[in-house]
Amino acid sequence: MGNLALATILVAAALAASMLSVELGISVALIELSLGVVIGNALDVTTPEWLVFLAGFAGILLTFLAGAEVDVPQLRREWRASLALGLVSFAAPFLAAMAFAYWGLGWTGDASKIAGIALSTTSLAVVYAVLVETGLNRTAIGQRIMAATFVTDLGTVVALSVLFVTPSLWIVPFAGVSVALIVGLPKLAPWFFARFGDRVIEPEIKLAFAGLLLLMWLGERAASHAVLPAFVLGLALSSHYASHRREQERLRVVAFAFLTPLFFLRGGMSVSLGALGANLGVLVLLFAAKMLPKLAGVYPLARRYCAPHAPFTTLLMSTGLTFGTISSLYGLSAGIIDETQFSLLVAVVVLSAIVPTVIAQRLFQPDAAEEARREAAAARRPALEGEGA
Amino acid sequence: MPFRHLLVAVDGSEASERALQKGLELARLLNASVTALAVEGPLPAYAATIGEVEEVRREKDAFFGRLADEVRARARAAGVEIEVEVRPGHAAELISRVAAERDADLIVIGHRGHFLRDHLLGSTADRVAEHAACPVMIVR
Repeated sequence: MGNLALATILVAAALAASMLSVELGISVALIELSLGVVIGNALDVTTPEWLVFLAGFAGILLTFLAGAEVDVPQLRREWRASLALGLVSFAAPFLAAMAFAYWGLGWTGDASKIAGIALSTTSLAVVYAVLVETGLNRTAIGQRIMAATFVTDLGTVVALSVLFVTPSLWIVPFAGVSVALIVGLPKLAPWFFARFGDRVIEPEIKLAFAGLLLLMWLGERAASHAVLPAFVLGLALSSHYASHRREQERLRVVAFAFLTPLFFLRGGMSVSLGALGANLGVLVLLFAAKMLPKLAGVYPLARRYCAPHAPFTTLLMSTGLTFGTISSLYGLSAGIIDETQFSLLVAVVVLSAIVPTVIAQRLFQPDAAEEARREAAAARRPALEGEGA
Repeated sequence: MPFRHLLVAVDGSEASERALQKGLELARLLNASVTALAVEGPLPAYAATIGEVEEVRREKDAFFGRLADEVRARARAAGVEIEVEVRPGHAAELISRVAAERDADLIVIGHRGHFLRDHLLGSTADRVAEHAACPVMIVR
């Protein structure tokens, strides 16, 4: 299939996904991924280089946006309570899924690492949507869950950047430029955005893109991955974006209108339904390799830090979507995993976005108003006890 | 039977406009107070980015903010005491629940008349009529 024909099909699919998303109330990413599966399996398409490149860049942009969307003051308030929760939420499924893929499925060491990373994630966006919808984002417990989710995702991006590094001199410029951008851009941003921003030619978006492409190039030369510096760069700029919402929105518009649809469509196109059908048992086992360690690891800590909503917290921490897809697609693009392994990992990631969310909402959803009253009463209790003493 | 407190379901549609009109007329005649309940639909399920959720949330907040202001203005003009509540959730279930919480003795709700959806799934008004613990007035 020619480039123009494929581009037309992909943009039409992105358009259809947007319309279906509005009508059905389901995230556009999930629909794009599904339409990608249809396109990839119905048409005989070889993924062209330009699509691999654009999807790779979109993955980095998504990571940057995820960092930029972190509520830093909230994170500062909750990091102590969230650290253990977030670290265990990352480490337990990472180690268990990696071990299962290596010893149970006979995958290579690097493919097993990709499996561990892809299945260790917690979806910031899925968790955020549930918390906002229930009003729990305003309660301490909701903020703690969000902060823990951030810690988990930080674990994921660190693992993806560090585990595949091949020692070479390129690590030095990669690390140096990463630090320079993370430290320098937030300082440069107020002047740059004031001088060149708010124009239709969008110099501020080009600045962000140039920084991300530089990180991607140096990351590739260092045989690493730019997700970690991209995420931290987003985080470093989050305070700036929090006070310049229009800039952030314009960046989102560029990302969501063209780039991220190509990322999810490309991901879906590489999912083989035949491979999934032939490996349904492995799919179930990999799903269990993500869910069981998450549940077993997070639940005891959730009982301590998020009582009385430990089951709800544990299930939310077991969701995954964007970083799981980014990790799997990195593994496929770098030749670390094959199409069958990719298909299995993406299917597990999508299942983990849906299954724990539905169970948490249907069976364990706390009443936000009651939770707020409970927290207020708990806050008053020490004061009253102090007065009594 | 005296109706002292009415719950009117509002969502900005023509059907809910008619329900609000009838609810306010009835409240003025009976000297009853009114709770207007707007039920926010869900945010995008299984979102991949916070931005996607944020955008829909902002749109909803703006829409329901405007709706609440309009409803208050209409009630003021009609000389009716009103409280407007916006809550997320499942419409039929929430309308019945809030009516019970607020001791409403009548629910007023519009009927949109979507032929296909009503026959396949049943309308919100039908489901409220089935589950509510108090009388329900369906305005067509």
